[in-house]
Parts: sequence; structure tokens; C-alpha cells
Amino acid sequence: MSSETASAKNTPSQRQNPLKIWLHQQRHAIQFSLERLWFNPISTWITLATIAIALSLPTSLYLLVHNLQTLTDSKSEIPTITIFLKPNISEQEAKDQAELIADFPEVKHARVMSSNEAMVDFQNRMGSDDIIRSLGKVNPFPNMIIVTPDLTVLGGTEEGMSDFIARIRASKNVESVANDTSWIMRLHAIFKIVNRILLIVFALLGLTVLLVIGNTIRLDIENRKEEIRVTRLIGATNTYIRRPFLYNGLWLGFFGGVLSLLILHLALHFLKEPVAELALRYNTNFSLVGISPVLSLEILVVSAILGLIGAWIAVGRYLRQREVSE
Amino acid sequence: MIEFKGVSKRYSTGQLALYNVNLSLAAGEMIFITGHSGSGKSTLLKLVALLERPSKGEVIVGGRPLNKLSQRNIPHYRRRIGFIFQDPHLLHDRTVFDNVAMPLLLSGLAQADIRRRVQAALDKVGLANKEKNYPLMLSAGEKQRVGIARAMVNRPTIILADEPTGNLDPELAQDIMYTFEQFNELGATVLIASHDHALVERMRKRTIVLQKVNP
Repeated sequence: MSSETASAKNTPSQRQNPLKIWLHQQRHAIQFSLERLWFNPISTWITLATIAIALSLPTSLYLLVHNLQTLTDSKSEIPTITIFLKPNISEQEAKDQAELIADFPEVKHARVMSSNEAMVDFQNRMGSDDIIRSLGKVNPFPNMIIVTPDLTVLGGTEEGMSDFIARIRASKNVESVANDTSWIMRLHAIFKIVNRILLIVFALLGLTVLLVIGNTIRLDIENRKEEIRVTRLIGATNTYIRRPFLYNGLWLGFFGGVLSLLILHLALHFLKEPVAELALRYNTNFSLVGISPVLSLEILVVSAILGLIGAWIAVGRYLRQREVSE
Repeated sequence: MIEFKGVSKRYSTGQLALYNVNLSLAAGEMIFITGHSGSGKSTLLKLVALLERPSKGEVIVGGRPLNKLSQRNIPHYRRRIGFIFQDPHLLHDRTVFDNVAMPLLLSGLAQADIRRRVQAALDKVGLANKEKNYPLMLSAGEKQRVGIARAMVNRPTIILADEPTGNLDPELAQDIMYTFEQFNELGATVLIASHDHALVERMRKRTIVLQKVNP
């Protein structure tokens, strides 16, 4: 139909600007989709609960791992390498050697512990002079260098660490090297695996959210076939038909995310007291790392997007089928 | 405005609904299509609304052959048409007001404009006091009128009506016909399929009689 004939009876309000039209349509779709959720409380709550549980599982696992990691990362637990120098090396020579070692990129920090310091430290630790007295005037400790390696430069592998130690051992001043880093390396390796597992769990449960929302929307479409047919007859585009369903998916994802945050906060609150008690017994001031605002936001955004994608797939499938049959 | 050129329609069931129809309607004209049931009146209207495609020939509306209209543009084309169905296809989960408002929501009108226009349309079909009712609470005639209000609320340039007065008593039927006439006077092209000969004659408009096809 040509526009001249069509516009003959168009009123000014029908020719308002496209942005306004679009905004009105959006507003209506938002309102309509929220109303539908509100007036179908049972199916809405079941879907929301499913989504919330599916989201809570990987997030709580993540929080567990995160808490364990902070526990091992705390300052006192930084692994060190102790270099025992040959007995004939003087304190000054030890200092020079420490400076050399400190220049290695793998080294965060290197300091000298002189034989005297070591003796004092030993005395303090033993808490008794008996053994010292039995040693007579001889100080059995050589000068030592305490090295704090930089694990990020070492790449967290045991090969990297043993290469590094071999290089230190090659120096003519070094008698032997004591390495208490392997346990932390192993722990880091375990964390790496756990992180991968976490990623898999996240992906699987994300897929669950997608499927749950997609299926909910699909059922909703089945219930509203007549409505879709009628809106088509009066000239609705696919975009228009799709819109309220997309919002529907978005809300399900978003509110499912909100509910999962609520569950997580309750769970953390439930754990807080026994954890504090345990920390007290271990004489540390460790407390649970909770859900940061950034993490909360991430959960909400991701779940809303998953909802949107789920809805998109469900409506898209339906609209394609209809197009063929029309 | 509307032109049929050698149009035939055979449904996939093998039934021949229209055979070699040639017809021309000027813009702003109001015509009636009569004929026995099964003579293809509904099919003819559906072809104009693009609810069906012809098997042969072409339908031209406003100078544009409909078979050239892409799938994407069909919705926009349909918004200019007010289609009144034999069965009004109302949505039972929303009120009369919301049913009539549907085409306006589609056009993205502001809430205030929608309210005003829906009320005007309901007023015209005599249902101003029923806007909060649900379709299930209405009589067949009232449902039919809600369907008419919905078809006219967006002020279409073409009005297609398939037995619009089938369920109405004679007085109301006459009123509805006058409503169509009013729209026609405002410039809309109106095409009405009806088998109510007495009513059609009283309207004194051009009338086309479809003969049943003998295959």
C-alpha cells in the first residue's frame, strides 16, 4: 500500500517519533512480562528456586575454594628457601651473595641470617640452655641466606622450582639448600585442578539455568499460542512477539540470581559462628570471605544474560516453526 | 485500491475456493460480497489480508502486488488493515479494554492516547460500560462488537469484515453497518462479506455475488 493513501487518516499521534514508539513498546513489554510472573506465582517460584539452587551450588564451591586459598596465602605461610653457606664464608661475603641472589627475577626477597643470629634464634626456640651448653663455645651454624621466591615468576611448577634451586646450588659458596616450598607448590597444583573443576561445574549449572528458563518460556509460549496468533493477525512483527518473552527470561534469570544470593548469605551466616570458634582454637584471626559486591553483581548479570539467551532460543525456535507453516 | 487479476485459490486439500476472480475497488469505496456459503467469500478477504496466498493470479493493494511483499513487511502491511473475523478471536485472559487496545500497543502509542481511543471505539460499538469485563462474560453479539472495535481502533485504511453481523440482532446489525459506513465516509476502503441479502440491499452499495465454483 502506498504511503499517500495510508497517511490520509493517520493522526499526529500515529506519526510520533520512532524512539517514543519504541519506548512505549518496551515499557508495555516490561509491565506485561512482570504481571505475568506475578500472576503465575507457583510456576514462577518453582522456576526461580530451581535457578537459585543451580546458581548457589557453584558459587558456594567457589567461596569454599576462595576461602582455602586466602588461608594459605596469608603472610606467615609464605614458603622460603634456606641456603646454608660453606663454613668458611664470612658474614660480609654472605651479604654480597645475598645481593646477587636478590637480583634473580624469581626472587622476591633475600636476606642474610648470620651464624650468631641463627644461634640466638635456635636458643629462643629451644627455650633451654642445656643443649647449647653441651655444644660448648662452638657455634654449629654457618651463615645463611633466607630466600622468599616469587611463585608467580616461577610459574607454580615443581620443575621451575627445582631448576631454580639447582642454579643456586651451583654457586661455589653454597653448601646445601633446604627447600620447604614443595608442599605449597603441590597445594597450588591442587588449587589449579579445583579451579578447573569449578569451571566445569559453573558451565554445567549455567547450562542448567539456560535449559530451565528455556523450558519455562517454551511452556509459556504453548499457553499463549492463541495470543501470538491474534497479535500476528493484527500485524505484530516477530520482534514484537518475542519481546515480552525475552523480558520474561531476563526477569527469571535476574530474580533467580537475587534468590541465590539470598541463599548464599544465609548459608554464610549459618557458618560464621563455628568458623570463628575454630579459628579461635587455632589462634588465628581467620574469618570467612563472603560475597563481594562485585561477585554479587557478576552473579546477577550472568544469570540475567543466561535467562535472556534461554528465552531467545525458546522463542526463536517457535517463531521459525510458525513461519514455515504460515 | 484493491485489485484482483485472474485470481484462483486452491487449498492444499484440493478444494477450489476461487476461480479466475477479477475485481477492482477504488480507494474509499465500500462494497459487499455475497454468495452462498462455500462460495469463497472468506477466502477472498483472507487473500487481501495476506492470510492466504493465491494459487494463481495476483492481488494488488494500493498499487503494490502482494506477492512481491517480503515476509518482513507483512506485519506492517497488516497494521493498515482492520480485519473482522467471523469468530472474533478475543483473548480470554484479558479485559475487553485490553483486547481492543492490542493494535494500539503494537503501534507504540502513549497510555493516554490508548485510553482515549479505546474508549471511543467501544463507545462506537455500544460497549462503553463493558470495558472491564472479560470476554467470557459477554454474549456472542457483544464479543463480535469487541472484535469490530479492535479492528477499527487503529483507524485502518482498509476494513475487511467477514460476516460481521452474523451473531447480531437486526437492529444492532444495522447499527454496525452504519458504523462501517461512517468509517467509509472518513476515507477507509471497506469490504464486507455477508449473506444477509436484506441488509446488504438496504445499504445501497456496490455488491459482488460470488458463484460457487464447479470444479
